Amino acid sequence: MADWIPIALSRDVPVGITRAVIVDTREVMIWRGEDGVAQVWEDRCPHRGMRLSLGFVRGNALNCLYHGWQYGAGANCLRIPAHPDLTVPPTIRANAFAAAETGGMVWMSDDSAAPPPQLPALTPVISLAIEVAPERVLAELGGSTAEPLIELPFAADTLQIGWHRVHAAKTMLHATGAGADIGAATAHLRALRQNLEQGVAA
Amino acid sequence: MSLTDDRAALDQWYTLGALQDFPDGAEVHSRLLGEDLTVRRLADGVEVRAAGRALPVRTEYGHLWTSFGTPERNLFELPESREPDRRWIHCGPVRVRASGLRLVENFLDLAHFPYVHTDILGSEAHPEVAKYEVEQRRDVDELWATKCEFYQPKAAAASDEGQISKYMYRVVSPFNVMLYKTPPTAPDRWDVIALFVQPVDEAVSVANAFMLVIDDTSTDAELSAFQQMIFVQDKIVLENQRPSLLPLQPGRETPTRADLSSVLYRRWLKEKQLRFGTEPRTDLPNA
Amino acid sequence: MPKLYDYVLSGSCYKVRLLLNMLGIAYETQAVDFFPGREHKRPEFLALNPLGQLPVFEDAGLVLRDAQAILCHLASSYDASGQWLPRDVRFGSVMMWLSFAGGELMAISGARMIAMLNYPGDLATLQAKARTALRLLDDHLADRAQAGGLWIVGATPTIADIASFPYVALSHDAGIGHEDYPAINLWQRQVRKLPGFVGMPGVPGYF
Repeated sequence: MADWIPIALSRDVPVGITRAVIVDTREVMIWRGEDGVAQVWEDRCPHRGMRLSLGFVRGNALNCLYHGWQYGAGANCLRIPAHPDLTVPPTIRANAFAAAETGGMVWMSDDSAAPPPQLPALTPVISLAIEVAPERVLAELGGSTAEPLIELPFAADTLQIGWHRVHAAKTMLHATGAGADIGAATAHLRALRQNLEQGVAA
Repeated sequence: MSLTDDRAALDQWYTLGALQDFPDGAEVHSRLLGEDLTVRRLADGVEVRAAGRALPVRTEYGHLWTSFGTPERNLFELPESREPDRRWIHCGPVRVRASGLRLVENFLDLAHFPYVHTDILGSEAHPEVAKYEVEQRRDVDELWATKCEFYQPKAAAASDEGQISKYMYRVVSPFNVMLYKTPPTAPDRWDVIALFVQPVDEAVSVANAFMLVIDDTSTDAELSAFQQMIFVQDKIVLENQRPSLLPLQPGRETPTRADLSSVLYRRWLKEKQLRFGTEPRTDLPNA
Repeated sequence: MPKLYDYVLSGSCYKVRLLLNMLGIAYETQAVDFFPGREHKRPEFLALNPLGQLPVFEDAGLVLRDAQAILCHLASSYDASGQWLPRDVRFGSVMMWLSFAGGELMAISGARMIAMLNYPGDLATLQAKARTALRLLDDHLADRAQAGGLWIVGATPTIADIASFPYVALSHDAGIGHEDYPAINLWQRQVRKLPGFVGMPGVPGYF
């Protein structure tokens, strides 16, 4: 798999939100605090395993829903409300992935050694879940599972479509364009989704 | 999945639900520890059968109990069930996609009150968990947590205002737990709220909440609704803990002083070598 | 005072509680022991609602059933601004999405009753219907977001949003997460930010 994986459109993760994403059967979550930086973490609080995507963002911190443990942008635990006077040991940390934003998408990497791709600013079109294996989706769209982006000519534009594997039989696409007719491009991709899924059902 | 081979799990008493949910003559299908069961209410008792054999049966505390093995002890004692002024409230079985052990551990937890039961059992302005005591009572093989105190905005169905509630917790077997709590209307006595968990599969449980309470103002519907509200607030947490099975391996999770009961509970489960509903360990030889 | 016959775990009763809170209407509740007591099938309740369903709402002699109908009544009687049930070109669209909330989206309710309360039924079929309904809503909300809109209809929240939110938010009880629905994820946050928003068991009040 590619080092850097696009997992969402930046537009879909505004300040103050959490978003759960399944990447190749792993549960990860994205959140964005007031500093505007998208964070991508394992969707699991180290305390009692609660999914952090159910938590809530305040300021530049993410709070676990279960016990209110508060994590800063560096993934270190800042506060354990049950022990208000405790200085939290620096060893208590959420599991953060390397994260980057480029081309209107949020990207993650297990191993931040390689730099993230550099893309021009692109206009978000649509994120779509398709109940079809990535290999088939990419074959249909003329992409390669070795590449994180698919270039799809559409009308006068070329759509740049990020993709990630949800699991063996589900793919998520994150489509952007340079100046496309967004409505028409969305309709085109939804029709593609329908054809692919009907092909699987048939 | 079929019946577990976990001896520690087999040799326990489990509830299959409230007796009132097994009507006369009807055959009810159920499931326990990965094995299908049939329950038949007969004129002279209740019959529980699995894979062609009859299982031992107890009918205590308004619930039906059975076991696949030979429990070391009889069913736990619940003396409050003999007090005539207590109201018996069955809150109805709720299915939860999580290990039953996660349910019990959550039941023992005070620190989540402000966040999961906000403005009812806790409030964000009072999140501190004061020191409490835990002990393993070896004569009865029970775990107790005592001297627990927590500020509660609405401690019970009959509460009008906030109070410091006093709690005691009692774990009578790996999947059965109860708490004792001061009722708003009778500060010298203890309400009993029990959680009897039916472990259906390793990561699927049925929670039976049962109350023996002192309350002469609330209706049954109000009492039941209050406890259902609390339990279903917990359900979203329980179904979103990862892993769904309780990890006993050191270092997998991060307990603090507020988690003393949970730490003792996990240690006790390890001592019993209970495996059903626990995450497989990788740190043990022959694991 | 208006009275809501209420069950704390009912997503349909929650629709009514949400709008009552957002409009700041004082009301009393009567707890109905829907589960395990099945009080809604007893004669006293059937006299109120022969369909034997929650919620029921009493207001100045009027006895109403059906969450969507009750939302219409509340908007029509208590919302001076006209925002929640606009009487203009948006009216038909609000009604269309109300029908969807009381129709297709209720597959989530059915699946939830099976998954959570062990009601009889075909869980897989209802989950598939629920996913179809959620995708339809997600597609609609994505179109709205592309046009700069935050709500199901028009530039303000309407009872279409209030009627749709509860079972969308409760879908995890039916075993369906929101990972596939980015536009729903965004919209849910907008609903949670509305003044007077309250949660329910399974819908945490925090956001």
